[in-house]
Amino acid sequence: MRQILVGFAAFTRSELANLFQYRAMMFLYALWDVINPIIYLIVWSLVAGERQISGFSRDDFVMYYLVFMVVSHLALAIEVYTFGPLIERGQLSPRLLRPIHPWWHAAAVNISYKVVNLIMLIPVWIGLFLVLRPAFPGDWMTVALFVPALAAAVVLSFLVGSLFAMLAFWTTRSFSFWQIWTSLLFLLGGQVAPVAVLPGFVRDVAVALPARYALGFPVEVVLGQLDAGELVMGFAMQAGWIALAALAFAFVWRSGIKRYSAVGA
Amino acid sequence: MTADISVRNLVKHYLVPVREGGLRASIKGVFKRRHRRVRAVDGISFEVAKGEIVGFLGPNGAGKTTALKVLSGLLYPTDGEVAVLGHTPWQRRRDFLSRMTLIMGQRQQLFWDLPGIDTFLVNKAVFGLDEPTFESSFNLLSEMLELGDLLYKPVRQLSLGERMKSELAAGLLHSPSVLFLDEPTLGLDVTMQQRIRQFIKDYNAATGATILLTSHYMADVKALAERVIVIDQGRVLYDGLLQGLVESYAPHKTITLHFEQPVDVKDLERYGEVERIDDLQFRVKTAKDAAPGATARLLADLPVADLSVEDPALEDVIDQVFRTAAE
Repeated sequence: MRQILVGFAAFTRSELANLFQYRAMMFLYALWDVINPIIYLIVWSLVAGERQISGFSRDDFVMYYLVFMVVSHLALAIEVYTFGPLIERGQLSPRLLRPIHPWWHAAAVNISYKVVNLIMLIPVWIGLFLVLRPAFPGDWMTVALFVPALAAAVVLSFLVGSLFAMLAFWTTRSFSFWQIWTSLLFLLGGQVAPVAVLPGFVRDVAVALPARYALGFPVEVVLGQLDAGELVMGFAMQAGWIALAALAFAFVWRSGIKRYSAVGA
Repeated sequence: MTADISVRNLVKHYLVPVREGGLRASIKGVFKRRHRRVRAVDGISFEVAKGEIVGFLGPNGAGKTTALKVLSGLLYPTDGEVAVLGHTPWQRRRDFLSRMTLIMGQRQQLFWDLPGIDTFLVNKAVFGLDEPTFESSFNLLSEMLELGDLLYKPVRQLSLGERMKSELAAGLLHSPSVLFLDEPTLGLDVTMQQRIRQFIKDYNAATGATILLTSHYMADVKALAERVIVIDQGRVLYDGLLQGLVESYAPHKTITLHFEQPVDVKDLERYGEVERIDDLQFRVKTAKDAAPGATARLLADLPVADLSVEDPALEDVIDQVFRTAAE
């Protein structure tokens, strides 16, 4: 295990150095993580006006999307763009020749991407919080619960992203399948609207599917929108989906690597 | 001697989609896909002893690279048994990966936008090399390959030859005892080819590493390998000494003649097939057994200024092997 951690740290250092070569590109990617939630923030603030929608006031929407901005960046899955193409182009080969599982390198890429962007995003986030000054409805307890909820969302998102990336072992068009997941995140993960605001039946579906646990759930936790029963249920669902995704990950990797054809490299 | 590499009836088939050109075929392809089975490696067997350098020869698409990829654990075979250093390669155990390397003559493991040294530091960490081991290996490779300050420039700014040297060094940092080299001199100029060749030779002498190499440059093979395995269409056509290959498949010699004055071609034709270079120079291809007698008679009968007797070029011999197999 020590060997793996040493390797992982080395990958992270070199990937950080690599990403710093492309500061401008990274900034443009990061900007989208800010603009996208701001659009929803403005739309829902206008819709809410002075009334409440499913218990959400205008201030609640502002706070929700400001926190969502942070969570959606940290729980972003990029593996379809970073790992999938390696399989398609045969560039996985050099990584398979190193005595460390290639997914440690992929995890280092994921973390490095977020760290580099954080340097640019943190001042933007602080600025937005200072300008909009929404009331924070949570307390120290919800903040404490936010940490494991966010960590679980990051892990679940990485596993799901990896599963879709590994479809490249079977198809050269894994991107099209990825649209299924991004659509789920958009509609039922808390992106287009907080899950609590969704109409009854749609909300029930969102609560059952994994998208909410990879994105919106930590935001709901920190803002204190969930009662004790919903919290327990939510964490249990996160754990369940992570376990299922991890099993699927192991199975798909084992089957996929047998099909790897190392084309061109 | 123990075998570091043992291959028994290795088979690797691929299914590749096929369709005719044009819109109609594209639309048909939406509903029904056709596949073709490519027999990249079709039942090859051989062993390579510890410390041996073996040349793996064959035309493009013969299955050489596919075989190397299976042997280095990148691909799962369709059938057959392989043991490299006592391991089944595609299980990719840490002990196996730490003791072998696959180096290909193209952009591979180096981080493209970073100086080569960054890849070296990553390899140091993932292969678990301690500081003294890293230092000594790094210094040895730097010296043998004359790396100088190459490793401190971004890889994308290196020339092909400089990159190849850096790739070789990165792949050998962990001092592997089995090397799979796929076209290690591809695209390099003659000087750089010679340098890489000499390096491989020195590395083998210094470490006793087992080396299986493919190359389209016969000079590589002649300089490095006493034994060659020739494959075509996934099957082994010849496995033995390089000299034996020449003797078996090239039963003729080439006599190159330089005359003091012009001679009649007809006087030469009775010794074999004649190729005229100019009025005073000719090449005569003659049966190997007849070469000594022909040489003596040519010297006695004609105004020969200079004469040399050579085996045919290795390229021609290999070509002869493939043609014989096709017949």
